[in-house]
Amino acid sequence: MKPPILTIIMFTIISGTIMVLMSSHWLTIWIGFEMNMLAIIPILMKKFSPRAIEAATKYFLTQATASMLLMLGIIMNLLLTGQWTALNILNPIVSNMMTVALSMKLGLSPFHFWVPEVTQGIPLMSGMILLTWQKIAPLSVLYQMAPSMNTHLLMIMAFMSVLIGGWGGLNQTQLRKILAYSSIAHMGWMIAVTTYNPTLMLLNLTIYIMMTLGTFMLFTFSSSTTTLSLSLTWNKLPLITSLILIIMLSLGGLPPLSGFMPKWMIIHELTKNNMITAAMFMTITALLNLYFYMRLTYATALTLFPSTNNMKMKWQFESTKYTTLLPPLIVMSTMLLPLTPMMPTLF
Amino acid sequence: MALVLRFLNGAYIFRHCPKPYASCPYLGTRFADYCSSSLQKPVAASGRTSSQRKSEGDLQGHHQREVALDIASPEEKPEVSFDKAIKDEIKDHFRRLKDDIVNHWIGPEGRPLHEVLMEQAKVVWQFRGKEDLDKWVVTSDKSIGGRSEVFLKMGKNNQSALLYGTLSSEVPKDGESGRSGYCAMISRIPRGPFEKKRAYDWSQFNTLYLRVRGDGRPWMVNIREDTDIIQRKNQMYSYFMFTRGGPYWQEVKIPFSKFFFSNQGRIRDAQYQLLLDKISSIGFTLADKVDGPFFLEIDFIGVFTDPAHTEEFAYENSPELNPRLFK
Repeated sequence: MKPPILTIIMFTIISGTIMVLMSSHWLTIWIGFEMNMLAIIPILMKKFSPRAIEAATKYFLTQATASMLLMLGIIMNLLLTGQWTALNILNPIVSNMMTVALSMKLGLSPFHFWVPEVTQGIPLMSGMILLTWQKIAPLSVLYQMAPSMNTHLLMIMAFMSVLIGGWGGLNQTQLRKILAYSSIAHMGWMIAVTTYNPTLMLLNLTIYIMMTLGTFMLFTFSSSTTTLSLSLTWNKLPLITSLILIIMLSLGGLPPLSGFMPKWMIIHELTKNNMITAAMFMTITALLNLYFYMRLTYATALTLFPSTNNMKMKWQFESTKYTTLLPPLIVMSTMLLPLTPMMPTLF
Repeated sequence: MALVLRFLNGAYIFRHCPKPYASCPYLGTRFADYCSSSLQKPVAASGRTSSQRKSEGDLQGHHQREVALDIASPEEKPEVSFDKAIKDEIKDHFRRLKDDIVNHWIGPEGRPLHEVLMEQAKVVWQFRGKEDLDKWVVTSDKSIGGRSEVFLKMGKNNQSALLYGTLSSEVPKDGESGRSGYCAMISRIPRGPFEKKRAYDWSQFNTLYLRVRGDGRPWMVNIREDTDIIQRKNQMYSYFMFTRGGPYWQEVKIPFSKFFFSNQGRIRDAQYQLLLDKISSIGFTLADKVDGPFFLEIDFIGVFTDPAHTEEFAYENSPELNPRLFK
């Protein structure tokens, strides 16, 4: 894509999300969502293959439906309370409708079906923007609406997301689908703690974004989209292989890596609020997630697969891919655990 | 030949098949039967139309003889019960759902992950019994009113499938068709529990392998991707398969990078790579505008990784024809 066009599109994506973050009027929030969605469609279709167009179409259809539902909730709120400000939503019907609309935008269960399909059809860099930047706007609205949301609905969606994210990702050999199911599971963790302590939701989002950005950049560096091509990086890019090992373990939530921090804080918060069964269930289903990360790590870094010539990168040339800020991202994704007491105070 | 042996002796074939070279003398005699009785070269002269009709009659007689063997004798009428059939169907679907869940736990496609990742050759379709034929559908231009006929049956000794018939490019007189004359054999879309659509994942392979024996006609191999959008059902990726026609089996290897993209039967200027992670069906089409009988004997269809083949996509897009792709 030509640089001026790409600049304008990226600017629109960023300004759409910032409009959502900065607004207190529901209409500007909705406008921000629409700007974001329309501008990201060309980014998803960068490659122009029929599969990418199918993925962009599915993304557009689900997001447009979610925006329509959100608008319906906004109008109902206007009708019932006569005001446009995005403060407490007192009517339960309106708040449930908005929760459903925002969970469709996030890809939470039971509205998660588009996430693996869309992520699989688009290039790696577009998938990175989809799974990280696109989560910021809906979660910020959920943060604002947190006091008035239905805890039961959110907990049900959280359980289902964690379970489906773990179960669905078990069998995948395509890396983008693995990251899509990982996104569904992490969103579940974030939603579970929203009504109890929204700050932890933002903490989880930040750590998740850092880890996912790092993962996508490592995959882009090694030009691999399947587990098999990733398992052949050991003799081409040994450093990337070891970084994939630690970032996957961090995504799985293993101490002493920073991926453990949000899970620990969320379990702590749920236990404080007497939701011990919920915390136990989510911890056990997070093991499914850890299983497929471990399997990916096992195939990639812990065992030496027989190497054939099917690896795209044959020699260790200097990479021309956009892996900006990869070293700081890796450091922050793995070594932030000692800073745990400080982290909730930042949000 | 070594590749054929590797395929046939792999762990994925459940019935023991005889080694091909050991049965060559039998092959020779079997093929002589085919040559003499039913299949003759297509003829153009009008003086020989009677022999052509005779060969068609032989073909149909052959087919009718096959059908006659399948009809059950009057004493053994099968029991037909609607309720039982429905109950069996429901039980079958729940059993498939249970298998699906257990296989999901074991790994992709029901096998451990390391086995799936290290696999370098896989037989996807083979023809060893009547149930293997049920996975395929044959079509011809009869559906638009043409005169071609196509049949699919098991070959001798249940070692291959024989697709045979007559191609006729006579245009149906319905006022809207301009061309006619095609026959095709298409695989059924794989289904899971409750008829959920599935797809094949061939992303670790890069070449299609076919063991066929034809009659010298050029066939087209078409691959369709799994999609949820209706308009994409018309899109397919094709390549040619030229059969030799000899009495020997032919091993056709088509790399997936060679498949070109077409939409609604027309080859597009903008070409896209065939992505292998969601393959829905494969098909063989004959439409070479030559009237007359044809046959294609297929032993098995497999996919494998050719380490010497490093090409990703054989065609390139032109900035003049499609500037949109280069923006």
